[in-house]
Amino acid sequence: MTETAVVDSLPSPVLAEPRPRVPAVLADDAQLIAACRRGEARAMEMLYHQYKRRVFGMAHRIVGPNDAEEVAQEVFVRVYRGLAAFRGDSALSTWIYRLTVNAALSYLARRARRQEIAVDDAMPDVPAPPVAERDPGLAARIETALGQLPAGYRAILVLHDVEGLSHEECAAILECRVGTCKSQLHKARARMRELLAPIGVAP
Amino acid sequence: MTCTEAREQLTAYLDGELEGERGSAVRGHLRACEACRQAATDEAALRDGLRVLPPVDPPASLWAGVQARLAQAEVADAERPAWRRALARWWLARPQLGLGALALAAIVLVIAWRVRHREAPLQQVASPLLLPLPLQAPAPAPASIDVSDELAAAAARETASYAATVVELSADAEHERAYWSDDHKQQFDTHVAELKKQIAAATDGRPRQKAYRALIRYLQRAATRDDVALAGSVH
Repeated sequence: MTETAVVDSLPSPVLAEPRPRVPAVLADDAQLIAACRRGEARAMEMLYHQYKRRVFGMAHRIVGPNDAEEVAQEVFVRVYRGLAAFRGDSALSTWIYRLTVNAALSYLARRARRQEIAVDDAMPDVPAPPVAERDPGLAARIETALGQLPAGYRAILVLHDVEGLSHEECAAILECRVGTCKSQLHKARARMRELLAPIGVAP
Repeated sequence: MTCTEAREQLTAYLDGELEGERGSAVRGHLRACEACRQAATDEAALRDGLRVLPPVDPPASLWAGVQARLAQAEVADAERPAWRRALARWWLARPQLGLGALALAAIVLVIAWRVRHREAPLQQVASPLLLPLPLQAPAPAPASIDVSDELAAAAARETASYAATVVELSADAEHERAYWSDDHKQQFDTHVAELKKQIAAATDGRPRQKAYRALIRYLQRAATRDDVALAGSVH
């Protein structure tokens, strides 16, 4: 039974909403965090919409399409439950992406330990989207190759190349030095080129 | 510039991170070397391909799932005894309290050290070699007062209170159990069985109390850790 199904059996009374003490527009992260800590539904939903694409996208490309939703759910639960302890040492986005990468990587580790899923299934089966102008099949081949990369390389490629984050942001998310981040990206791209070489990456 | 050097800097070059002469050296090498030029073309195509991968939209069910799991966690919070919620709050404030605890530990250590060193000379004075007269042996305690019985009773009472705490914490851990993964449950059961074996094997008194304390600490951790309660999975 899924987590959702367990909760479905609980009664769902109409809960009294906390009264917002902030103006209608939440100007910055600090206000958003404060409102979420008070459990204001509107702020929580706002935070969700602000980060859902990136959180889900990262999870999707690190753990594959089948388990992305479960990982993304876990990330958001950890975000809302962990906001009370969030001290603001890093930007809210950095913290959320760090939770995402950590949740995705540990999900992969658990999945490998359980050996419930064969290695081949870890490759996302993504339909070819019409993106690359010069090579219509490139995007699909890249997605497939991404799924074959070691998880650590996949994380840095997703953060830097797909999500377009800077090396400094990636280093903060992965909790490593900027230099390590750069060399990991270099190795990850080299591995990707090897994986794509048999079919040719260049147009 | 050798091919190896050029390949090492290729990623940085393609990402526009090499300025001035460093960039121009790589560019110069690429003009002259066919193989490296091809590698650069491939990596650039890969980089561009990654940049334009279409965003993946989260399914509409995601938000409902998040809300359901938050509701579940809130119900678990409400069922948790007050002292456990207080402990969790303390745990959250750990950074400040941790420093306070460290400072307190340092003060206690300093005091203990000074007390020990103050006692040392007193013991020397009490040494028979330094005393002019032999010390009188202390009078034996009257036979009617047997302290060992009382000490044993006190130790038994303390052990019993440890056992009661274990029962209470085990019940709490049972509540949490619903949120654990199978792996976690198995790990928990194995560890608890091992700790209980150690309690059974320990001799009466302090060793047994020590074994009880180990089990209590483990149960407290198992019953209060938020990450265990949430998913029973991610560390």
